Amino acid sequence: MADDGEIPRKLNDEFNDDDLFASAIEIKVEAKADISLEDDRSNDLSVVEEQSNNLSAADEIDLNSDSEFKDDVDDTNAKHELRSEPEDIFEDIPEPKEVKIDATPVRPTLETSVTSPRTQSYSNYVGTTIEEEKIVPEESDKFITISVKDPQKIGDGISSFLTYNVVTRTNIGLFKKNEMTVSRRFSDFLGLHDKLAEKYLHKGRLVPAPPEKNVVGTTKVKMAGGQTEQEGKLPEFVERRRAALERYLIRTAIHPIFQVDPDFREFLECEDELPRASNTSALSGAGVLRLFNRMGETVTKIAFKMGESDPWFEERHQQLETLESQFRRLQASLEGLYSHRRELAYATAALGKGLALLSNGEDHAGLSRALAKMADLHDKLEGVHNDQSNADFYILHELIKDYLGLLGVVKDVFHERVKAFQTWQHAQQMLAKKREAVDRWESTGRSDKVAPAKDEVLEWEAKVNRSQEEFDSISKAIKKELERFDLQRVKDFKAAFISYLEAQMKAQDKIIEHWETYMPEAKAIA
Amino acid sequence: MFCSQENSNNHLDVEKKSERSETVDLNDNTLQVDISDALSEREKVKFTVHTKTTLKDFVKQDFSVVRQHEEFIWLHDRFEENESYAGYIIPPPPPRPDFDSSREKLQKLGEGEGSMTAEEFKKMKQELEAEYLATFKKTVAMHEVFLCRLANHPIFRADTNFRVFLEYEQDLSVRGKNKKEKLETFLRSFSKTTDEILLGSTQKDVDEFFDKEKNFLLDYHSLLKDATLRADKMTKAHKDVADHFIKISSCLLEMATADTNQLERFATKSADIFEKARKIENRVSTDEDLKLSDTLRYYMRDTTAAKNLLYRRLRCLADYEAANRALEKARAKNKDVHAAEWSQHQACEKFEQMSAKGKEELMDFKVRRVAAIKKNLVELCELELKHANTHSQLLKASIAALREEL
Repeated sequence: MADDGEIPRKLNDEFNDDDLFASAIEIKVEAKADISLEDDRSNDLSVVEEQSNNLSAADEIDLNSDSEFKDDVDDTNAKHELRSEPEDIFEDIPEPKEVKIDATPVRPTLETSVTSPRTQSYSNYVGTTIEEEKIVPEESDKFITISVKDPQKIGDGISSFLTYNVVTRTNIGLFKKNEMTVSRRFSDFLGLHDKLAEKYLHKGRLVPAPPEKNVVGTTKVKMAGGQTEQEGKLPEFVERRRAALERYLIRTAIHPIFQVDPDFREFLECEDELPRASNTSALSGAGVLRLFNRMGETVTKIAFKMGESDPWFEERHQQLETLESQFRRLQASLEGLYSHRRELAYATAALGKGLALLSNGEDHAGLSRALAKMADLHDKLEGVHNDQSNADFYILHELIKDYLGLLGVVKDVFHERVKAFQTWQHAQQMLAKKREAVDRWESTGRSDKVAPAKDEVLEWEAKVNRSQEEFDSISKAIKKELERFDLQRVKDFKAAFISYLEAQMKAQDKIIEHWETYMPEAKAIA
Repeated sequence: MFCSQENSNNHLDVEKKSERSETVDLNDNTLQVDISDALSEREKVKFTVHTKTTLKDFVKQDFSVVRQHEEFIWLHDRFEENESYAGYIIPPPPPRPDFDSSREKLQKLGEGEGSMTAEEFKKMKQELEAEYLATFKKTVAMHEVFLCRLANHPIFRADTNFRVFLEYEQDLSVRGKNKKEKLETFLRSFSKTTDEILLGSTQKDVDEFFDKEKNFLLDYHSLLKDATLRADKMTKAHKDVADHFIKISSCLLEMATADTNQLERFATKSADIFEKARKIENRVSTDEDLKLSDTLRYYMRDTTAAKNLLYRRLRCLADYEAANRALEKARAKNKDVHAAEWSQHQACEKFEQMSAKGKEELMDFKVRRVAAIKKNLVELCELELKHANTHSQLLKASIAALREEL
């Protein structure tokens, strides 16, 4: 690229357009990738537009990329580059000059993948929205579907691990194929997150948080003697993790920028084993380094109080803090609800057994039969209660947990902004010093020192400008991201709640069914 | 009915449910008993026992007295100890009014007041009051059932002690047993139980019917007890689930108020839904408790009463056989023959009477039990269906409402 020295346009420029938020739900982010090195072309990156969509049984979301993004700046020399490794992407693609990720919208559809017999996957409530009669401006046809399936244990003993099949279906042109299945392990997911975080976090992008590590669960799985999922009895923790991984990938995929990120694509496409992301492990050198970094950051967070010039950020910060504490409380109550319902299921089963015994001991034949039937009924009820508690858990609780994780990311992003501010301040201070130095040399008449000092001043001026721009851009990026976050949050919540209630309704209907079958039995006691 | 929560006094108007007191409608012989009122004072509950009768034995035709729980127990003991009632199943006494769990909850509520929002606190208080009310109603019902069974029993209703209980306007001054007496009763019951077990294993019953009954009742009793415990656990778990809905509902409400208007209406509606769902779940739990657990519990106690009858009979049989042996010995020694004969004759009569009566009672007990369990199961079924239907409809309506909010 000829103009490396130029400050590259950042992706967030596309958010400048106020029309983007014209409709309540739609966000248009569009950019067209252009491998052309020519200056004349105006580059746009493809736009991924989120649109509210119907929550059908297959839980679809629409990402519609619509009209072209109009470049505000008349500067045709400006290049819009994809965030990272611009050269690489476009060289790979055989198309001659222009890779146009079409104006056609992208529609990620989510599949529910059922891996365990009884528990349904409730993981796909990320980004799902409810049916709405939206007239799509252009035919929207691009989609990306990701599902995580089939946890499998590879190897044995302490060195064993679980792999998951990541199935992607898409017709976004950037991908090599339309359908791919790859095998990934947990550390691969963490590696992906690390790469994305490295690239985007300090630019103010909200990189979704991956599922947590779980030492106890993992060890249990390692120690369990060679089971495959046919037995259907992989510990619950595996199912939770699988669902969480799926949600994580989907969340990443619906983000317009990450969707086209090369690392993300590689993760979905590359059929070979990815290089071991060994620096995600807690005990590695990188892990220790991370720990130190984190401690250092915590100190700076406390120590450095940034003079907040933008009230928007102040307000948002407050709001997010409140939200976080509310989430935590909600999560606690949901956990309580979940465990009590489990208890209820358990107690119901126990009662069923007690009734069965009673029925055996009862000498009156009619009553005995009725009691036996009641015992059956309670067994069935136990199943229903279990399902209910699963709904509690997978739908609501995991959602809240995800959002708590996301709030953590938001806080990180805010902190990045603070760091950018710090850099800027520092640069300004240095500039002042250098200017002083120039003055000093000039006044003392040391003309030999003046020239290099002037150079330094120039250098620092440039740095100040750069860091100011970075600060501004990160602030802008954060604003956009947070707005998107809010919209997404609202959508997710509404979707999750409605599906939760639907699940409960189904459960109630089942209960009705069971009791109705029982009723004639009770009446028939002679 | 209304219940105002003040520290010591709770005044509750129990509706007169005339269905509960089964009126035996013989022209000159009606005796109708019910508990028309109940007052809860700190530790004690005072029941107002109201009688309407046309029996000649009573001084007045319509009168009320105030009785406490201990006096019910006193009455029961009088019946139990009465030898001439040995052949009958004595109705089991009502359980002590137990407000301990409510009191505990009240305490916890008071302590936790700081950590909850005002809304939540109010709701939990309401919950607590409702629970208190339910327990209260239950204990009144139990006492009433006890009295009604006595009133409807052809022999028991004529008992003097019963009459005194119903009529005597002053306090019966039945003090609760002090420590010494409690110890005595404990020892007595202990010896009784050992005797029972001993007899149960050694004494062979001549009558097959009774033998079978005994075995059956022993098993049945323990099964009932087991089932009752489990049913209790289940209702409790149900209640816990319902209680948790309050917390979730208040969390959602908080979120709604703090949020910008995007989620506000949605969250408020959701909070509402949880609130309503909670009420329904709660009712399910109480109904289950009432119909299932309580029925099982009542019949468990009734079975105990039946077992007591059998025990008494066995005791009688043992006495009878002892008398027989004594008679033989006396005849052999030719001393006190007459006395021995007479006592043997007594024992024999007593025993036969008891056997005959006992058989009747046990048959009756079986029929009663089956009928009552059937009735309660049917009612339970209906109630569960009703609640499940309401719940399902609530959910349908709320889903529709929420979808509008999108």
